[in-house]
Amino acid sequence: MQSSDNKKNSGDSRRDFLKKSSLITAIALTPSVAMKAAESQADERFAELFEKIPLNVTVNNKAYKAFIEPRVTLLDYLREELHLTGTKKGCDHGQCGACTVHVDGERINSCLSLAVMNEGKKITTIEGLANGEELHPMQQAFIKHDGFQCGYCTSGQIMSAVACVREGHTNSRAEISEYMSGNICRCGAYPNIVDAIVEVKEGGMKV
Amino acid sequence: MENRILKDENDRVDGFLKVTGGAKYFAEYELPGLTYGVLVTSTITKGKITALDTKAAEKAPGVIAVLSHLNKPSAPAYEQEGGSQMKIFYTDKIFYNGQPIAIVVANTFERATYAASLVKATYAKEEFNTNLDKALKNSKAKKLQGQPDYKRGIENAYKTAEIKIEQQYILPIETHNPMELHGIIADWRPANKVTVYAKTQGVKATQGTIANVFKIPIENIQVNSEFVGGGFGMGLRTWPLEIATVMASKHIGKPVKLVITRMQMFTMVGNRPTAIQKVGLGATKDGKLTGITHTAFGETASYENFTEGVVNMAKFMYQCDNVNTSYTIVPVDLGVPIWMRGPGEATGAFALESAIDELAHELDMDPLDFRIKNDPEMDQQKNKPFSSKNIKEAYKLGAEKIGWGKRKNKPGSLIEGSWQTGYGVSVGVFNANRGKASVKGILRADGTLLLQSATSDIGPGTGTGMGLIASKLLNIPTSKITFELGDSSLPPAPSQGGSATLSTIGSAVNDVCVALKSTIAELAANSNMDATSNFVDVLKKNKLPSVEITKESQSGKERDNYSMYSFSIHFVQVKVHSLTGVVKVSKIVSVGDSGKIVSSKTARSQMVGGAVGGIGMALTEEAIVDHRYGRYINNNFADYHVPVNADVPEIDVIFIDKPDFLVNPMGAKGMGEIALIGFSAAVANAVFNATGKRIRNLPITPDKILA
Amino acid sequence: MINFQYLRTTSAKSALVLLQKGKNSKFLAGGTNLIDLMKRGVTAPERLIDINHVPLKQIELIGTKIHIGAMATNSAVADHALIKEKLPLLSWALQAGASAQLRNVATVGGNMMQRTRCGYFYDTEMPCNKREAGSGCGAIDGFNRMHAIFGTSEKCIAVHPSDMCIALVALDAEVVLLNSKGERKILFKDFHRLAGDTPQLDNNLRPDEMIVRVEIPLNNLAKNSYYLKVRDRASYAFALVSVAAGLELLNNKIVNVRLAMGGVAHKPWRLTTAEEFLKGKDATTENFEQAAKLSMTDAKGFGENNFKLKLAPNTIIEALNLAKSKA
Repeated sequence: MQSSDNKKNSGDSRRDFLKKSSLITAIALTPSVAMKAAESQADERFAELFEKIPLNVTVNNKAYKAFIEPRVTLLDYLREELHLTGTKKGCDHGQCGACTVHVDGERINSCLSLAVMNEGKKITTIEGLANGEELHPMQQAFIKHDGFQCGYCTSGQIMSAVACVREGHTNSRAEISEYMSGNICRCGAYPNIVDAIVEVKEGGMKV
Repeated sequence: MENRILKDENDRVDGFLKVTGGAKYFAEYELPGLTYGVLVTSTITKGKITALDTKAAEKAPGVIAVLSHLNKPSAPAYEQEGGSQMKIFYTDKIFYNGQPIAIVVANTFERATYAASLVKATYAKEEFNTNLDKALKNSKAKKLQGQPDYKRGIENAYKTAEIKIEQQYILPIETHNPMELHGIIADWRPANKVTVYAKTQGVKATQGTIANVFKIPIENIQVNSEFVGGGFGMGLRTWPLEIATVMASKHIGKPVKLVITRMQMFTMVGNRPTAIQKVGLGATKDGKLTGITHTAFGETASYENFTEGVVNMAKFMYQCDNVNTSYTIVPVDLGVPIWMRGPGEATGAFALESAIDELAHELDMDPLDFRIKNDPEMDQQKNKPFSSKNIKEAYKLGAEKIGWGKRKNKPGSLIEGSWQTGYGVSVGVFNANRGKASVKGILRADGTLLLQSATSDIGPGTGTGMGLIASKLLNIPTSKITFELGDSSLPPAPSQGGSATLSTIGSAVNDVCVALKSTIAELAANSNMDATSNFVDVLKKNKLPSVEITKESQSGKERDNYSMYSFSIHFVQVKVHSLTGVVKVSKIVSVGDSGKIVSSKTARSQMVGGAVGGIGMALTEEAIVDHRYGRYINNNFADYHVPVNADVPEIDVIFIDKPDFLVNPMGAKGMGEIALIGFSAAVANAVFNATGKRIRNLPITPDKILA
Repeated sequence: MINFQYLRTTSAKSALVLLQKGKNSKFLAGGTNLIDLMKRGVTAPERLIDINHVPLKQIELIGTKIHIGAMATNSAVADHALIKEKLPLLSWALQAGASAQLRNVATVGGNMMQRTRCGYFYDTEMPCNKREAGSGCGAIDGFNRMHAIFGTSEKCIAVHPSDMCIALVALDAEVVLLNSKGERKILFKDFHRLAGDTPQLDNNLRPDEMIVRVEIPLNNLAKNSYYLKVRDRASYAFALVSVAAGLELLNNKIVNVRLAMGGVAHKPWRLTTAEEFLKGKDATTENFEQAAKLSMTDAKGFGENNFKLKLAPNTIIEALNLAKSKA
């Protein structure tokens, strides 16, 4: 991987790839019809099929199949395609944490993850945290300690807080604050958020 | 708004929705045929667009339209002369770098984003200036009076005082940057019916602006804004980007959603502008203030004037016979500012409250004692008594809580290893505003109360507060009360700003509840029931499903006879690392003297939030413009440092909690602004106390401590 | 962002083949920097080769070296018992970087490939020789508060933004690179480059190579190590200056010492002169001060960043003192 940022468009690269792809041992993630076209040295008109690729993910225990452009982020896929808008877009650059979701149980910023990178993964969003009407202990604690005002960062804060407890980074208020610093709250609910996490941790509640 | 059974009546009524992701913000409404808009912005700071090449963008996959000054739809108000010059798509002029010049609409967000990158503008550039300091030094640069000069007693009396200080204080641009990105969904339907989902602090204001720009009847426009992901003032106007989106929807006949980028949040939706202030203070040797002079210069845009209350506090906060102020606004080639939390008063308080601390130091007086000594009995500016003011009690409670007794008046006295400890204090004050609003109340036989008003909730907990007011008056549990807001079809209310919502809307809620109560009493009397009968029984007996009352409420003449303010005192302990210059705010006690506390939990949170905002203002926040290019260099959340969790200690909030019934029937004054106003000075004063270093230009970053 | 082609592979070898097959291809690991740069239009690869399924996540002790696979995440390394016990400096440096969420996906290899955070580099409307050769440097006469004071060139004064790399250079790590002919090993200190006349090049990775792992020799510094990061807010911010300090002490005598600094140069900045000075001396503040002073010999400020000339030595002293007092 070299770091020159050559913006020059090598227009033939896609066709080259199509022609040569049968030589490649790797799994090129392309629709099978296009792969066949490529293997038979077909014309680049098939190339537009490359614009979208298949995706299989599980979100909140529900399986989804999609056919999407690789440039779609996990965040935009959740919000715009699945209409799971509990996950928020705060900066779109990994600088605020509003888009925090769990992927295979770990917290990540969904704005800097391409949806297609999550093939086969289990994703949990804020919508998947409560058990129906029964709130997750962290959600309950956020209400009790008023861990939010406008509510926009809240989904990310709660997803992050749950992960923080699971990770075991809750041994002091200072440690909680440090490990919650990837979630910006402009309303300034931080001390209340720490109170909520302390309560959940000390309550030994299952997270 | 869904109202779940609350565990505690002080819990937020929308808490369930907010912690489950169920609260819908503007960008989250699903509309059939929704399209995505992305803005193209200017890459020069001043000049004219000479050509705009949109061909490549128009041909890009999924693109529906590219709209600019070349092909905009009709917006009659923009065809007229006058008003602000920023008539989006009706001008080829560039007033600032990052100004929207086109909107690309496509069937997906990704496609619109890519196509926007293909639009190429050519410009005729002109000389520009984005630097306030440079404009001040240029005698030819335009300068405008921001507020009439004020004078009582002798002008510049401080100059001849026994003890005096004279200093300059500089605040950089600070940006609101609420967590929710700004934008709008606009849906222009046949027969000029327009529905928008907006991020606004005032649905009626947005409705009025759209009606005015497009010259369509106000009732044709429906504005929805139930949940707003923070505003801090940014949503107090309808921005050109919103009008652009409405135009785009009108043009293509489909709903268009625009969500601007975090980078664009720095340029096109206002800021707290750079301010350069000079404060001169004089006192007698025994510490009586004899002169205050506060002179302020603030930025405005070249295309629109912006003013705020930078020098207000100097006129009444301290007992002083000789006060003069002036406030000048200076156009620079940046986007127009907009009031940001605490607005000008917070800017001014940094200077004045730092200066007070400096003067106390010169006098070798405890700054708290100095403030108490100069606490006014009445408002000398208005020549009226204060409706209520419990500052001395607030000083006492806060000082005890923070451990003010441990403070040494000599700076740099408390040292532990590489860390120096210091204490600082500052006062905040803001008008106890109250406007005019209407509320509709519907009391139902099923035991519930529905309240409606076209107000907003950008985070303080409007519905929660209103529910508590109604609950106490009608003796209904808050779980049975629903407060609807954020909808322009509801009874009219002003925008949420200036710490006035609780006072304004709450008073109308109060009046509605009082009227409902007497209606129920009348019905009870008419049906031979006891006057204290439960309303459910009364309605049932009268075979009424509900009773409905709408009331408009506003201040009486008390406002003419009294000076009405909310006050806050901020106590701060800081630790300063002498080798690395790192400043940590280690303790905070904020005392609110804002009348009766209606909603204890949300009120406390508001004070906490103000302190966190104050840490940002004092220590970390500065939007930096490279004046050679007129472009922001740190226009993102990695480089523009909003405080994070680890920056914030535990915060003690104390309320005086004494009602002031002259202000409104609840006796409650607003507190959104006072939570922040003055805080940055308390930090700077604490840093001085810790180190002996007086930092007069915010933010107080490590480099300034080491300098 | 252009709609690039996305390919996924499960082996390092096929990843290298794919890299060669098309021009303007990039490996996609955690993506926390690359996707950000693509959104900003700073880089526009036409093909992304997702290497997240390439099995290079190992963290293991082999002989006297700890091997860390290029695809191990920052949090996996930081929280790994072996690393916490043997190389706490690396663990702390990692924890000082980014946020918990980013560390969960950001990889060791990706961290090494991180590009500068210079605002002029990020804004495609500003001059930047690193982004666009020959366009000039906006920072030299502009806003350079975050910028380099060591090893700068007339073309670029950007800094390397990583914390992890500061620890790795201090720990004498080596980098193992793979190309079609096999593996090659270089010293970590030689992986990143100074800007010189080619600021567009951050490192010495060849266009046909990939990072497969780092190897870190065991040491006796674990007891007295410290990573001190000075920044504009308490967390989630890039370093103004950071110092990785490791001491091996015998009765307060410095047997071995490692010092490296971040936020000051285009590459992780190892302080060899200071190390040489300190070896064999007593661990006293006076000696630390002298070492700090020696470290600054070639430092040069550019205006806004002049404070680093004071902050850097102070941070060295404080980091050494904190490393010492850990015992």
